[in-house]
Amino acid sequence: MLDTLLLLALNGLIWGLIIALIALGLSIIFGLLDIINIAHGDFFMVGTVLAWFTLNLTGNFWVAFLIVPLIGFILGALIQRIVIQPIRNVAALSIVATFGLSLILQEVVRITFGATPRRILPPIQDTILLFGINYDVYRIFAAMIALVALAGFFLFLHRTKLGTWMRAVRHDRDTAIAMGVPAQHVYIFTFGIGFALAALGGVVAAPITTVEFRTGVDILPFCFMAVIIGGLGNLPGTAAAAVLLAVIEGIIQSFADPTVARISSLVLMSAVLLLRPQGLFKGLAK
Amino acid sequence: MTMSLMMIRRAMLIAFIAALIAVPWVVPALINKFWVSVIAEIMIWSLFAASVNLLFGYVGLLSFGQALYFGFGMYGVAIGISTFGLSFWPAFGLGIVASVAIALVAGIFAVRLTWHYFAIITVVFSLIFYFFAVSVKSVTGGDDGINFTLPPTFSFGGYTASFSNETFQYFFIFAAVAFCFFLMHRVIQSPLGKAFVAIRDNDTRAELIGLNVYQLRLIAFVMSGFLAGVSGALFAFFGRYASASYMFYHVSGEAVVWAIVGGAGTLLGPVVGTTLFIVIREVVSTHWEHHSLIVGVMAILVVILAPTGLVGLWNEWLARWSAREKVPATRTSLQSEP
Repeated sequence: MLDTLLLLALNGLIWGLIIALIALGLSIIFGLLDIINIAHGDFFMVGTVLAWFTLNLTGNFWVAFLIVPLIGFILGALIQRIVIQPIRNVAALSIVATFGLSLILQEVVRITFGATPRRILPPIQDTILLFGINYDVYRIFAAMIALVALAGFFLFLHRTKLGTWMRAVRHDRDTAIAMGVPAQHVYIFTFGIGFALAALGGVVAAPITTVEFRTGVDILPFCFMAVIIGGLGNLPGTAAAAVLLAVIEGIIQSFADPTVARISSLVLMSAVLLLRPQGLFKGLAK
Repeated sequence: MTMSLMMIRRAMLIAFIAALIAVPWVVPALINKFWVSVIAEIMIWSLFAASVNLLFGYVGLLSFGQALYFGFGMYGVAIGISTFGLSFWPAFGLGIVASVAIALVAGIFAVRLTWHYFAIITVVFSLIFYFFAVSVKSVTGGDDGINFTLPPTFSFGGYTASFSNETFQYFFIFAAVAFCFFLMHRVIQSPLGKAFVAIRDNDTRAELIGLNVYQLRLIAFVMSGFLAGVSGALFAFFGRYASASYMFYHVSGEAVVWAIVGGAGTLLGPVVGTTLFIVIREVVSTHWEHHSLIVGVMAILVVILAPTGLVGLWNEWLARWSAREKVPATRTSLQSEP
């Protein structure tokens, strides 16, 4: 019993780290551009699909870790420039626009990739004995990749000029522009990074989940939960909340139905929204 | 000589209603019978989009969880008939009462929040019940849903009227939807509606002139739940079916798109948006299975090119046209002066 519990908690932790990557993308887009991005789950889905294409075209899964986030970045930057920029000042419209974007991404994948769910074999096939079962080494590797990417992102945000610009524009847009920060470019860059993070999450998760055009729809609510419970725009809080939620859901799943686990985290999220709208981890911000 | 805007609008509205009444006879003759039921479905979904519009277009709250109240209306009817063996009207009543009750409970919490937080909490509430409906299969049938046989609407002695008569079904839906739109129109014209708009435009100012913003938002929320509930109940009658899949957030999202693309804050905007998208779906889906692609592109194009929606664009165009008409008129009157 304890073994199962630990195993589900570990699964939750790994999944939480991957979600943290995706949710961070959602959070920076939200924090900087004030946009509720309905298409964010589909950015993740595009990542899994691109990983599948990379594997089938090059025969090498590892290439996907480099190429897919890059493609994601370019797609994100283009989307910001073409779709988001013209409607930037009207936030309600951004929900409609990103909803349309979500439909477009799903349909394009359905046309090119097909509607049948597929699986990718993990590039590392080994297993190790963990809590009494043979655990996939790739899952542990996936968690490592996610951790490294998270650490890299926070380093980027705090140690580079571009990262500082991003924080500056989020903190006070007008002052940042007055100080010479090219806000428009920062927006494009931020959207690109947001897409790239979700796409990287997709590559990491592709061998663990199924690859199909619908996966984004299921993952989006979870990412929003992480962003809300962590506090809107609070990046470390978002990452922490993603891990916390996934571990809690994993533990609840050891004795109850997965939907019960999902319902309990949604109820937790409502409570956070109503009682602590600034998120659970206010102290972690900045 | 110039027709006033009011008259143009009124003439168009009368023509529109007359066209809707003529549908069961004209449409089968011109196209085919199938389109009568498509138009009936459009009316139901228009009412659903109107429930988004009442909240967003007039009170300024963007709800992303209207599918919850739609679902309660739908399940109230379906469970009422299939489980409790209710007849038509009590089942209709149960659907409406259920959706209004859940809207009241959700609203008490939701309208404490505004803007982003409001959009998110409404979608969270609807997701909670969506997952709940999916998991209690014995009651809701989960994603497979519940099929039921519809009892007659009216029966006097030997005479019965039921939805198995397609013309009756069409007119019942038409009457119910038209009645709800009429109610909404009256509310918007009333002092209550003016208070809603005051809150939408500036909630601080509304508070300062003595409006109870929380209470007014809650009233609007429950009214909007009522509209969504009626549309859900009608949809259950129409399809003889209820399914948890109609409570998913995508259904709410579509209604938001229909309302905003059609024109939020206008009475008939949701009708225009819903009609546009369902007609595209029906026309294109028979030839091409990827019709969602067109829906997505259109949604983006409309918000970029016509941020006030199609009806908003039309109103601007109409206002410009009537202004152009008036200018020469005043000039001639000036010239005729001695």
